Amino acid sequence: MKIVNFSFGLLLLMTSLTSQAALRIVTTTQDLASLAETVGGEQVQVQSLTPGTRDPHFAAAKPSMIRKVFRADLLLVIGAEMEIGWLPPLLRSARNPQVQPGNPGYLDLSLVVPLLGKISGPVSRAMGDVHARGNPHYWLDPRNGVRMAQAIATRLGELDPANKDRYQRRFGAFAQTMESRLAGWRAGLAWLKGKPVIAYHKSFIYLADVFDFRIVDEVEPKPGIAPSAASLGALITRMRAEHIGLLIMEPYYERRSARYLKEQTGVRVAVLPQSVGAQPDVNNYFDLFDAIVAALNNAGGE
Amino acid sequence: MDHFYFRIKRLAAVIAVLLLYPGTAFASDETEALRQELTELRQQMQRLQQTYVQQINALEQRLDGLESKADTQAFAAPLMQAAPISAASNSGIQIGVSGLFAAGGSSVDNNALESLQGGAHDPGQNGFTVQNVELSISGTVDPYFDAQVNIIFQIDADGETVVELEEAFFTTRGLPWGLQVKGGQYFTGFGRQNPLHPHSWDFVDQPVVLSRFFGGDGLRSQGVRTSWLMPTDWYSELLLGIQNPKGETVTSFLSAPGEEIGGHILIDRAARNVGDLLYTARWLNGFDLSDTLSMNLGVSSLWGPNASAATTDTNIVGADLYLKWQPAYTQRGFPFVSWHTEILKRRYEAGDPGDPSRETLKDWGLFTQALWGFKPGWVAGLRWEYATADGDTAADPLRDTRQRLSPNLTWYPTEYSKLRLQYNRDWTQHLPGKTADSFWLQAEFSLGSHMAHIF
Repeated sequence: MKIVNFSFGLLLLMTSLTSQAALRIVTTTQDLASLAETVGGEQVQVQSLTPGTRDPHFAAAKPSMIRKVFRADLLLVIGAEMEIGWLPPLLRSARNPQVQPGNPGYLDLSLVVPLLGKISGPVSRAMGDVHARGNPHYWLDPRNGVRMAQAIATRLGELDPANKDRYQRRFGAFAQTMESRLAGWRAGLAWLKGKPVIAYHKSFIYLADVFDFRIVDEVEPKPGIAPSAASLGALITRMRAEHIGLLIMEPYYERRSARYLKEQTGVRVAVLPQSVGAQPDVNNYFDLFDAIVAALNNAGGE
Repeated sequence: MDHFYFRIKRLAAVIAVLLLYPGTAFASDETEALRQELTELRQQMQRLQQTYVQQINALEQRLDGLESKADTQAFAAPLMQAAPISAASNSGIQIGVSGLFAAGGSSVDNNALESLQGGAHDPGQNGFTVQNVELSISGTVDPYFDAQVNIIFQIDADGETVVELEEAFFTTRGLPWGLQVKGGQYFTGFGRQNPLHPHSWDFVDQPVVLSRFFGGDGLRSQGVRTSWLMPTDWYSELLLGIQNPKGETVTSFLSAPGEEIGGHILIDRAARNVGDLLYTARWLNGFDLSDTLSMNLGVSSLWGPNASAATTDTNIVGADLYLKWQPAYTQRGFPFVSWHTEILKRRYEAGDPGDPSRETLKDWGLFTQALWGFKPGWVAGLRWEYATADGDTAADPLRDTRQRLSPNLTWYPTEYSKLRLQYNRDWTQHLPGKTADSFWLQAEFSLGSHMAHIF
C-alpha cells in the first residue's frame, strides 16, 4: 500500500513537473518568435537565433546558437532557402534529433503559405539571389501571419496535447484581431492603392500584394547585387518618366543610393522595418505593421 | 427438399416476367418499338439517379469537412485562401566545386619561396598557381548518420595533376546526452585554423607555425572522435579523438621517413600498439559577450609517437581566441570586425634514451589576424606571425626565427566568388637576404550548393 502511495505520489509529481515545464521554442527570426509567443503564451519559452535588425539570410552559425538548438523542443524556420547559409551546419552540430527536418520538432513555415515570385523556367545565379521556390519574405503579409500562427498552434497542440485548446483559442483571438487590424491598415493606406513604388531589394512583394501597390523596380539591378552609377542612372530615367514618387527600403541597407535618387528625382524614401525587432519600438507582429503603415504614411501620405 | 425449393423459385420468376411484360406473348413491330423506348427511358433514369447520388455524396463530404474545421477557421476564413502545400525535396545531397587560383611574384626565387610558402595550397611560385580545386559532396545518409566527402585536385609545380582524398567522414545525428561521433578521414580539430579548407581562409596562405607543425596539408588522418556538448550555461564542447599517427599529413608524428628534423633523420616507424596512436583533445567555449560581440575560446592538445627514434613522443598544445563584432544593423553581414589569434607550442623528443644526440626540440609560434569588413563585399585584413625554436636553428628554414606581416584586401562580388590581393613581408634567418617581399592575387569561384557561412 505504501509503495502504491509512493509511486502514485511520484507520478503526480512527474506530471506536475512536466506540465509546468514550458516548451522550448527556438526560431530563426524574431517574426516567428513573436507569433510563437502569441500562440504559445505562458506554456512556451521562445528564443530567436537572429535579431530583427539583421538580414537573416546572412547570419552565421555561431556556437551560442548550437546550444540553443540543442535544448529546443521545437524549431521554427522561415525556409524557402532563407537560412540556407547557416541552418544546415547548425543542425548538423546541434545533435538534437527532435528538431531535424521531418521530425515533429521542426516546422518550416514556408510550406503553409502561398509563395509568390516562383521562377518558372531556368534559374541561374547570373540572375543574382533568386530563389526558385519563391520569395522568402512572406511574413510581410499579415494574411500569411495568420497562416503561420495557425500552423504553429496546430503543431504546439500535437507536441503538448494537454494545452491544445489553449493554443487554438489564442490562435483564434489572434486571427480575429488581425482581421480587424488589417482592415484598419488597408484603410490607412488607401492612398497607396495602385501606385508605382521602387524597393531597394526584392523583399516587399508580399507587402505590395496585401496593400495593393505596385513595385515596378528595385534599386539593386539584380537581387543581392549592389547598384552601380550606371544602374542608378537608368533607374532615374525610369522614375522620372513614370513619375514614381516612393522608394521603400529596409533599415539595414546603405542610404547613399536612396539619398542620391531623392536628390535627382525628389522621390520620397520610407525606411520600413522588415521584421519584428528591426526598430526599437517594433516589439511584436502587430507593431511591425503599425510601424510600416506609419512610415509609409509619413513618407507619402496626404 | 432443395430441388423442390428451386422449382418454386423458378415458377415465381416466370410468373413475375409474365406479369411485368404482358405484351411479350403478343409480339408485334409496334410493341417492339415501345419496349425499346421504355428500356432507353429506364437507362436514362438510372444514369440521372447515379449522377445525383454522386453529387449529393460529394456535397455531404464537403459539408462534413467544413463542420469539423469550423471551430478553428471561423476567425481566419475571411483572411485566408487555401494555401498550396509544396513538398520539400528530401534527397538532401549537396554538391559543390570550388576553384582557388593565385598569381603573383616575389623578390626571391622559386626555391626560396618553397620554404617561405610552406603550405601545399599556398601560392608557391612566381607566376600562376592552382591552389585548390575542391569537390565537396555532403548529405544525410539516414536517420542516424550525416556524411561528407571532399576530394582535392591540384596541379603541382611540375605541372602534374594531383588528386587527394582530403576528407571522407560520417557524423552521428541522434546520439543522446549531447554526444556526437565522427569517423573516417578528417581534419584534426586542433585550434580554429587547421580544420578550415583553403577556400575559407582569410589570407591566401597558411600560417607559418601551422606549416611547421602540421605540414603543408594541415593535420588530417584516419580515426574516430567523440564530442560532448556539455550541459553548461554557455556553449562548451569537449572533443576527444584517436587518429592514425602515420602518413604524410601527420607531420610532427610518424611522417616522412628519410627527412630531417633538427638534424635527426626520420625513420620508418609503425604504430605497434594502442599507445602508439595519435591522441587529440580540444575544449571549445563560446560566449555572446553582448548583442554585438561574440567570443570563442579554445585549447587543444595532441600526443603521439614521432619518427626520430623507436620510443620518442611529440606533444603539441595550443590556445585559440576568436572575437567578432557586428553592429546592430548589418547589410549582407557587413560591417564587421573580427580578431583571430592562435598560439602553439611543440615539444619533440628526438633520439631514444641512451642516444648521445638525444634532445628535446622545443618550438613555438603564433599568428594574430584582424579583419575589417568595412562595406558590403569588402574586407581589409592584417596578419602578423612569429615562429621560433630553442637552440641554434638559424639555418633551418623550418625552425629559424621568422616573422611575417601580411596586409590584404578582399572583394566578394557575391557569396560565390572572391578576389583577393595580399602583400607578404618576410623576415627570416635562413634566407641569404634575410627578407622577402611577395605580392599575390587570388581568385575563387564556387559552383553548386550554397556554401556555409563561416562564423
